[in-house]
Amino acid sequence: MLTALRIDPRDNVAVVLREVQKGEEVLVNMITGAVHLTAQSDIPFGHKIAVTTLLESDPIIKYGEEIGNAKKPIQPGAWVHLQNVYCKRGRED
Amino acid sequence: MHTFYGYRRQQGLPGLRNWVAIIPSVFCANTVVRRIAQQAAGTVELIHPVGCSQVGLDLELTAKALKGVGRHPNFYGVIVVGLGCERFQAKELADSIAATGKPVEMIVIQEEGDTQKAIDKGVRLAQKLVEQAAKQQKEEFPLSELCLGLKCGGTDATSGIAANPALGWVTDQIVAEGGSAMLTEVTELIGAEHVLARRAVTPIVGQKILDIVRNMENKLKTGTARSDFQNRSALISPGNEDGGITTVVEKALGGIHKGGTGPITGVLAYGETLEEHGLYILDCPGHDGEAVTGLVASGCQVVVFTTGRGTPTGFPGVPVIKITGNTSTYERMKYNLDFNAGEIIDKGLSIAEVGEGLLEKVIETASGVPTKAEIGMNDELFCITRSYGG
Repeated sequence: MLTALRIDPRDNVAVVLREVQKGEEVLVNMITGAVHLTAQSDIPFGHKIAVTTLLESDPIIKYGEEIGNAKKPIQPGAWVHLQNVYCKRGRED
Repeated sequence: MHTFYGYRRQQGLPGLRNWVAIIPSVFCANTVVRRIAQQAAGTVELIHPVGCSQVGLDLELTAKALKGVGRHPNFYGVIVVGLGCERFQAKELADSIAATGKPVEMIVIQEEGDTQKAIDKGVRLAQKLVEQAAKQQKEEFPLSELCLGLKCGGTDATSGIAANPALGWVTDQIVAEGGSAMLTEVTELIGAEHVLARRAVTPIVGQKILDIVRNMENKLKTGTARSDFQNRSALISPGNEDGGITTVVEKALGGIHKGGTGPITGVLAYGETLEEHGLYILDCPGHDGEAVTGLVASGCQVVVFTTGRGTPTGFPGVPVIKITGNTSTYERMKYNLDFNAGEIIDKGLSIAEVGEGLLEKVIETASGVPTKAEIGMNDELFCITRSYGG
């Protein structure tokens, strides 16, 4: 079972360190304990998986900082990337 | 305390190489420059597309770039080649380089008569300079005499978690031993500038960091304001996106890791060299070539370039050490890459362990071991920044 990398304790996404198949179990070590996620879709190497539920416009936190916002609600285990994230700095979609 | 071997110069930092550089003051002299370099081993050519019909800030950036690069410690001596009528005169470039104490020769094609005469003169002068350069011996220097240029390009998700942190560890070590490093590519700092500003040694430096990023962001907004350019507005590349980077902020936060954790001593303008040791932010755009040219023009003797997707590029006369945090990129492209930091991800090595290996690589490269880009004679990264409309 893959352990995804959570870079900062405040992050709500983790980085998958190998390609993940839809339905695979992914572990993320949070300060409060290990979280077991089920990948909601295939996720490519190096991409992000949501650790918690995110509502539309909630900040995506990586490296302990806001890197963008959710375009729509995001479930735990979802692939987090261009399809569901917008950023107010630089490109908007 | 670490040391490296280099060539002492009359002024400033020691050189890591002892090349004779052939530099045109204007693009019209490019072929003559190439032909001279082809006929003299021990030379590097620095051809470029500018020097003609420029005014204002645009011309000033060209002057700064050519002077900064011409004065670089890795060059024992320089041959400047001009056409004669150009806006940026060969004499201005030659005089600026000569002020460092470096041997400089100047050839003006229109004065020599034709290209064959100019080439002939240049080849004979190159022979003389190369023979003189060969007599110089290396000396031992402490790391306080090293200035590292920091660069990333072809970023993917591994850059921010492996390659850049490993480089940041090296940056911290070098600065701790009295050396210097420069972080640049202001487009790639958008979203992370507040993190950097917090590390500034004074509030004025912190404000300068915020200012240069804001200025760059405004320039970009102006450039993409027209509705017919909307499909040209993305600041992150398809390679970044395929590699897992979703936003410019994510890219910037991963990128700044290469600057380590230490205090930021100042902000340098394009072409400005440093007065005291430390970690600096250099104001250059995100184009790989323009950024590395800026680092070289400001005096970095060696550049470490992290790349997730892989790039073969190099700079004439200045070692560019290519490192990746992506082991599969390293395996595919190791012909063009110098170091694999990917073991942080796939073997669970610590950043410090990999950082130690990278520091050794930097020192051995500084002392003479050529990078893949030097062996391959890659020279893509010499690119002068333009400023259209000031």
